[in-house]
Amino acid sequence: MSTRTHPTPPRTSRGTVPHRGTTTVLTLGVPAVVVLVAVAVALSWRDDLPDPVAVHWGSDGVDGYGSLTGHLVGLTALTVVLCGFLWLVGFLGGRDSLTRRLAAGISVWSAVFFAVTFVGTLAPQRGLTDAAETGSTSGVLLAGLVAASLLGALAARLVPADRPQPTTAPVPPGAPTVPLAATEQATWVREAAPDGARWFGIGVAVLMAGIAVLSRQWGVVAVLALVLALLVVMLGPWTVTVDRDGLAVRSLLRRPRVLVPLEEVLEAEVVEVRPVHEFGGWGLRTGNGGRSGVVLRRGPGLQVRRTGGRVFVVTVDDAPTGAALLNTLAARARHQDDASPR
Amino acid sequence: MLFRIDPTAAEPLFEQLAVQVRSAVARGDLTAGTRLPAARDLAASLAVNLHTVLRAYQELRDEGLIELHRGRGAVISTRAEQDYLPLREALDLVVRESRHLGLAPGTTTALLKEALR
Repeated sequence: MSTRTHPTPPRTSRGTVPHRGTTTVLTLGVPAVVVLVAVAVALSWRDDLPDPVAVHWGSDGVDGYGSLTGHLVGLTALTVVLCGFLWLVGFLGGRDSLTRRLAAGISVWSAVFFAVTFVGTLAPQRGLTDAAETGSTSGVLLAGLVAASLLGALAARLVPADRPQPTTAPVPPGAPTVPLAATEQATWVREAAPDGARWFGIGVAVLMAGIAVLSRQWGVVAVLALVLALLVVMLGPWTVTVDRDGLAVRSLLRRPRVLVPLEEVLEAEVVEVRPVHEFGGWGLRTGNGGRSGVVLRRGPGLQVRRTGGRVFVVTVDDAPTGAALLNTLAARARHQDDASPR
Repeated sequence: MLFRIDPTAAEPLFEQLAVQVRSAVARGDLTAGTRLPAARDLAASLAVNLHTVLRAYQELRDEGLIELHRGRGAVISTRAEQDYLPLREALDLVVRESRHLGLAPGTTTALLKEALR
């Protein structure tokens, strides 16, 4: 995730970021409680643990040792920095529920994963005098991943959705449109395909999985399989649809998805997207200035400015057609509303 | 791709859809292996009956332009790999010459229709 500011200043007033209280509880409060519990549990075991404790495992067993205090400080510092950063993202840039969900989900995911692996690797060391005798703990990695994913997903779900913010503002006159007869209906559908980045990621994961299988670290294998599945869903292909409902961007499994209702579209345009510079990577993302996006490759993308100061972008081929149709349909819907006020 | 239908036009809706897929293939916008939207999604999106889209897809399948797979939807077939470039160039020429001669679009399409008979 990138904290760079938006290169072009927003043209409309952006309003305040909603749901800051919930963001603070979920993104900062919950992770803090999780880590404090882990620290408390570890401290209550202090007298039973060897000194130094084992802190790192390689394919041949324990290969790293450290003091319990150092280990505790490391865990706390890591969580504070990461969750604090995510809280800032959600608190300052969370105009969009997607941004708030990503911040809360990743924050809780990280805290739970760190806490479970921390406590899980200390538990088998209780009663030992030499930490080198600790057995394999690769099962802990899997347990941590599953618990973190479940609770992270739960936190993301608990984030309040954006309230509907319809607009009656006309689409700016300079915006691109397609000529469409009043009686015509139109739909634009396009598969948003990823570029080489996805194959690089998948290649790395496959390579790591191969190494894990050869080294018979089954916990690691399971973790890599889950990461691989997540990569395939997040990095495409996604289906982009523009129709009378607005813009819909759906993943391979239809969820996650991003919906921008037609009545919240201020203007659609084509922009150049640089995934790493502007979004810090690929996939479902929050980028500079709280902009959200489905970013699969470098190059042109369809960007929508929506009400509430929100901006969403999806990298897709033939974006000019999609943007023009979205403007056309939005303008038409507003025009109809004027003609027949409800 | 862009699908557009006009319920007030004389041409049946399924035919309007099929024509657009055929033209998109000829223009080179749709290439072999490209997946068309699921019939159910497209029907809901355009607010038309599911059977309208299915009929369009069946026509295109009977022509060999798309393949229908259970669960995988409609995919543009390898027949779309035909070389449409000379046709596109010839069409550009027709348009250019018609404009040069100041012919009304209706006159040119009438001539084309006659020639194709």
